[in-house]
Amino acid sequence: MSLDHRLEAQNLCAGYEKQAILENVSLTLPAGKITAIVGGNASGKSTLLRTLTRILPTVSGSVLLDGQSVHTMPSRKLAQIMGLLPQSPIAPEGITVADLVGRGRHPHHSLFTRWGSADDRAVDQALRATGIEKLAEREIDTLSGGQRQRAWIAMALAQETDLLLLDEPTTFLDVSHQIEVLDLLVDMNTGRGTTIAMVLHDLNLAARYADHLIAVADRGIYAEGPPSEILTESMVKAVFGLESRIITDPVSGTPSMVPLGRHKVISRPCSRKIA
Amino acid sequence: MSIAITHAAPRTVPRRRINRRSALVLCLLGGGVIFLFALTLTCGRGCLAPSAVLSALFGHDSAGASFVVNDLRFPRAAMSLVTGLCFGLGGVAFQVMLRNPLASPDIVGISASAGAAAVFAIVILSLNGWIVSLVAVCAGLMVAFTIWGLSSGRGGAGGRLILVGIGISAMLDSVTAYIILEAPEWDRVEALRWLTGSVNGAQLTEVAPVFAALVVFGGMLAVAARDLDVLRLGDDTARALGVGADKTRLVVTLAAVGLVAFATSASGPIAFVAFLSGPIAARLLGSSAAILPAAALTGAILVLAGDFSGQFLLPARLPVGVVTGAVGAPFLLYLIVRANKNGGSL
Repeated sequence: MSLDHRLEAQNLCAGYEKQAILENVSLTLPAGKITAIVGGNASGKSTLLRTLTRILPTVSGSVLLDGQSVHTMPSRKLAQIMGLLPQSPIAPEGITVADLVGRGRHPHHSLFTRWGSADDRAVDQALRATGIEKLAEREIDTLSGGQRQRAWIAMALAQETDLLLLDEPTTFLDVSHQIEVLDLLVDMNTGRGTTIAMVLHDLNLAARYADHLIAVADRGIYAEGPPSEILTESMVKAVFGLESRIITDPVSGTPSMVPLGRHKVISRPCSRKIA
Repeated sequence: MSIAITHAAPRTVPRRRINRRSALVLCLLGGGVIFLFALTLTCGRGCLAPSAVLSALFGHDSAGASFVVNDLRFPRAAMSLVTGLCFGLGGVAFQVMLRNPLASPDIVGISASAGAAAVFAIVILSLNGWIVSLVAVCAGLMVAFTIWGLSSGRGGAGGRLILVGIGISAMLDSVTAYIILEAPEWDRVEALRWLTGSVNGAQLTEVAPVFAALVVFGGMLAVAARDLDVLRLGDDTARALGVGADKTRLVVTLAAVGLVAFATSASGPIAFVAFLSGPIAARLLGSSAAILPAAALTGAILVLAGDFSGQFLLPARLPVGVVTGAVGAPFLLYLIVRANKNGGSL
């Protein structure tokens, strides 16, 4: 279904004129895959995501979608290919779930087109895919955090883009809702071939759910690749400044990071003892 | 796989029902406007038979009704109608754009600046007609951008923008009061028009520019309405949906200031109509669908009803602005109290 759109950054510098947050970043989002961007607080991972989606201007360098600069692309055309779920979207007071999800159809309309059956179908599918069809008539303000986040994802789904970027989609959700949202994104990825990129705080969930991991540190990309190669003790040390052990997640077989703090550690790994 | 396309089941989702409700509300509001317009034409100090009003309107003089209807009541009703539509539309455009019901042009100083500029143009510069309206529009835009600048306002309106606006509003009101004092040839009625707003003694030649502004700027808003609606989801989401936030804000500001300034330079700043229309319409609609036309019609109802009750229902004959002001002030207090509780948006 997906046309495998290619989103890439070339020698990207982003942030502000005087203070660069990212310098000389070049990357390509693997088409049809799930990419997770990880990094410490204020490392620039959100800046990276927001610059890729044109919400922030570039200081220098370029962001290319299928070889064309996103900054010269008509907004509506871009919005038909690439969707974004920002970190803290605003729901107008009193808006219902169905109404909010319907907003996702905006880029598919011009001044002279009317709401049609294709829009009904897209909204319907989005509601069903996110499991909130029964909440369609509820007002957003009355939903729980997890339900609300699913409504926002449904809006992005109704936009029917081949690329979807999400800025910390699991923040403020409890663990079961986090899993729910991430499972939903995998559904979208495998079901429709949607290319997904998201900023995630939880390293272990990132390693479990992403096909491709980008670790951001020191104003650039520290490492990128499949989680099994990227999530290592030295990466965690370099990116987060934290000693850790990497074990294999018994459920998914992906690498999983166990932090080593100063307390509550029964046995330190040999290599660290010597140091 | 939950994504798999297995639909065919008819959609029972509420979009249609919401539309039905907004259609009903729009019809009721439209009916209210027509009723009040007709009431203004037929009833005054003495009531005329509807047939007499109609024949007078179509040029057949019947028992002196022609003067009363064509020269007194029709211009007054027309002025109430178009200024009400302009204030309602301009007001709600600001409130929606800034995501705050307190950010209406009459609270943040746009109406005050248009009024002060109009008075200045008439008294000091001895101008009249269209030029006055254009001066008012320019002043309104200047004040709008000054407020944006002073509150470093991009995006939603925080308390800061509102407070800056209230300050500027008070300053400009005093300018208006000063100029009125310097214009000794004006009587109390004319002065009141510029202080609170009045449609007393309206002429059709004064209605025309406001009507033209309604068509031009209202048309601009109609084009921008979809983007404005998406802007309510926040700048980032709007951009993700292909809407340029800054461009939309510029168009909406221009159109809303145009509407409010043209109306103000004809009728004076009719108190609180711009401020009241949007929230009232929003409560009637229960959703955000069709808020712009609903608020415009609500504005027309407020002015028509306010003027009619000010003339004939209350013990003293009051200009419309005094009536709408008396209704609006308690509502302002209510919104401020409520905004403190939940930061309320429109």
